[in-house]
Amino acid sequence: MKGKTQIRKPDEYSFRKNINGYLLIAPAVIAILLLSVYPLLNGIWISFLNYDMTKAKLPDFGTFAGLRNYKVIFSNSKYLNAVSNSIVWTLTNIVVQLALAMGVALVLNEKLKGRSFFRTVALLPWAIPAAISALTFSALYDTKIGIFNTILIKMGILKEGYSFLGNVSTAMPAVIIANVWKSTPFLMIFILAALQGVSYDMYESAAIDGAGKVKRFLYITLPNIKEPMAVAVILNMISIFNNFNAIWLLTQGGPLDSTEIMYTYAYRQAFVDHKFGYAAATSVVIFIVIAILTVIYVKMISSDRNK
Amino acid sequence: MKRTKIETTVLYVLSVIIALCSLLPFLWVFMTALKSPEQIYDINQIIPTYITLGNFKQVLFQSNFVRYFINSAYISVIVTMISMVVAIMAAYGFCRYNIVGAEKMKMGILFTKMFPGVLLSIPYYVIMKKLGLIDTHTGLIIINCSFVLPFAVWNMCTFFLQIPWEIEESAMIDGCNRFQSFIKVIFPMAKPGISATTLYCFLMSWDEFMYANTFINTAIKKTVQVGIRDYIGEYSTDWGPLMASVILSLIPVIVFFVFVQENLVGGLSAGAVKG
Repeated sequence: MKGKTQIRKPDEYSFRKNINGYLLIAPAVIAILLLSVYPLLNGIWISFLNYDMTKAKLPDFGTFAGLRNYKVIFSNSKYLNAVSNSIVWTLTNIVVQLALAMGVALVLNEKLKGRSFFRTVALLPWAIPAAISALTFSALYDTKIGIFNTILIKMGILKEGYSFLGNVSTAMPAVIIANVWKSTPFLMIFILAALQGVSYDMYESAAIDGAGKVKRFLYITLPNIKEPMAVAVILNMISIFNNFNAIWLLTQGGPLDSTEIMYTYAYRQAFVDHKFGYAAATSVVIFIVIAILTVIYVKMISSDRNK
Repeated sequence: MKRTKIETTVLYVLSVIIALCSLLPFLWVFMTALKSPEQIYDINQIIPTYITLGNFKQVLFQSNFVRYFINSAYISVIVTMISMVVAIMAAYGFCRYNIVGAEKMKMGILFTKMFPGVLLSIPYYVIMKKLGLIDTHTGLIIINCSFVLPFAVWNMCTFFLQIPWEIEESAMIDGCNRFQSFIKVIFPMAKPGISATTLYCFLMSWDEFMYANTFINTAIKKTVQVGIRDYIGEYSTDWGPLMASVILSLIPVIVFFVFVQENLVGGLSAGAVKG
């Protein structure tokens, strides 16, 4: 925004002069309080109650349980397995996606004929609904009709179809690949937007000074896109950690819990086993992680704005 | 800073590889949708030697697909309309009036979008059960608003903030009242932002899977994302019709893509990075 341009009505903050403003934001604020904030508090409250839907007729149903739900989940080896899978899932995803997104963005930032076509196509996986991309990958991985197995059998490497999603050793890499395909473009858009903000003159003068490609990348590109990139990484981490569709639709957390992350574990507790108390406690832990990441994100974008 | 010929060639090769990585899965899905059942299981028919529209016919005329499609469209249209009207009002209020704690409230609204759905789904189930909204489209519409609305408010704020106050002020000097100046000045200027946000909202609701899968039980009330899984049986999957319905369900996504791809790079990241 240029120098003196004002975006807000130059007025004092008196309630009477701004009453229309308050009336305008009221529906949105009330809706969000009812649809998100109240359910969130309610969910946190349920995590402290005896709320096993399969025992809804017992006298202690709905009574206060203190930290019992938390104690139960933290002493459950399946939950601890889900926690470690969540860490593997999130970190592998973010590292692979960041590396790929950076590479793709650098290529698509170069002046080439048909660049806008390549950009559009590269973005396509991002626009595909998560449920559809999961379906697509379950077809690609299929034992009988999947393209990977078909090619491997044709080349004589495999005799019969191998179940990528049905084996403990390959299930996690397979779901990670599916998710990388789906969400790398999102990260790539942010990096590309940041790259476009780096002025061409800086490269030009660095080139005249004799700086090579690698040096230009390290000393000009990276420092200039560092901040928007960090914001994008945090945002992406939140959505990876919060991911449900990619895993649930491909493996449902299996085989033998090898792809079970905290989110799918919580969902299973709630809507497969109907143990709402445990499910709520598990979800509160997820919420805490997300809240920490969100605070970092909000700090980043507000410091960006104050500059 | 001229490129050498080799560098340019390498860049083109890389661009083509990137494009293929995005497109090949869909090309394969599309080819599978055009195959007969025998061809699907034949490893010599990766690229089909002849094609059939049988799968598409089966999906359109002998299944619930059209019904699911209408359900999804109905839910998404209502969610988008409610969210956009409420969000435009709120964004205008936030950006054009001096509201105490406006920044904090906006950040709070952004935060609600990050709430894990699985945590909300538990109270949603309990509350909707009480209100008799389980297995209804109304219930799903209300739930979808919970994540579409915060996004819409946040996004509309970004667009309104780009319009200087002076423009509106001069409209008022010319005799417009606040409402007229909004309709005549702000609305046309924010139009690209409004239409892009509308499309995003529609797509967010269209894509939703978890809540629809959890709260809808009756077969004919399913949304597209849930309904196309009808072809996945416990022991075998009917791949041909499944792939055909994947292609058909992508129609709104492709329409969306054609509309917004031009300013996607700037438009999408502006809201999140610059706030």
